[in-house]
Amino acid sequence: MSGRRSRSRQSSGTSRISEDQINDLIIKLQQLLPELRDSRRSDKVSAARVLQDTCNYIRNLHREVDDLSERLSELLANTDTAQAALIRSLLTQ
Amino acid sequence: MSFIKVLILKFSSLRTQTMASSDKTINTDVPEKDVFAIHFLQSLSNLTTQNPFNSPDTTNYRARKIKKAAYVSMAKAAGGSSRLWSRALLGRAAKENNKIVRFARRKRKVTWKISSKRRSDQRAPEATDRLRNLVPGGGTMETSKLMEETAHYIKCLSMQVKVMQCLVDGLSPK
Repeated sequence: MSGRRSRSRQSSGTSRISEDQINDLIIKLQQLLPELRDSRRSDKVSAARVLQDTCNYIRNLHREVDDLSERLSELLANTDTAQAALIRSLLTQ
Repeated sequence: MSFIKVLILKFSSLRTQTMASSDKTINTDVPEKDVFAIHFLQSLSNLTTQNPFNSPDTTNYRARKIKKAAYVSMAKAAGGSSRLWSRALLGRAAKENNKIVRFARRKRKVTWKISSKRRSDQRAPEATDRLRNLVPGGGTMETSKLMEETAHYIKCLSMQVKVMQCLVDGLSPK
């Protein structure tokens, strides 16, 4: 198994992930975070900070999904029959 | 009819937005909003036919169902078993439904063995461990895989939030 891994990652030679690879991944993560995305390249953001912010961002998104589910639930309950019929026709398309 | 138009307009505006800001260096296999929306709308319609939405006392229960439907739709839109997080998410959802799903075994090997040796990144152990708890299936991933999956998961999650927001906006009384 380790043989297959090192063959797929010829640059590293061992199964150990190189620092560069991790740094690349952290930069990629950073670009996905609204707060850190716009910070300039020269402003070095620490890996710990990126990971921390990633956690917070995911948690926020989870919370948004919770809220939106509740609102959808209420909206679908309150839609009058005409609109409900409309939506149903949309859903069955 | 007007509702459909609103929905279509929103979807197309969303699509152009993400086209402009999308980062091509990261995995570009983020699912289309439409794919997620179709999955999600279908499960919503199943929900409405199963239990009518007009009994007021079950709003919470329904919200939970909707939430679950959203996550499952997202995992399906992301290609089901092709991603570790979506696989974990679908597996968990199926477990709750007492169903057994079997995925192809090939991809599993990569994750399990290494994880025990290298559970956390030396530089930010706490943050990495928190991340493991947030990303479905993260507990068994090696660090680099965890980060890859996290990047993909974030993209899908924010897509999911956008689509759900569209639906809420479209359904809200004007």
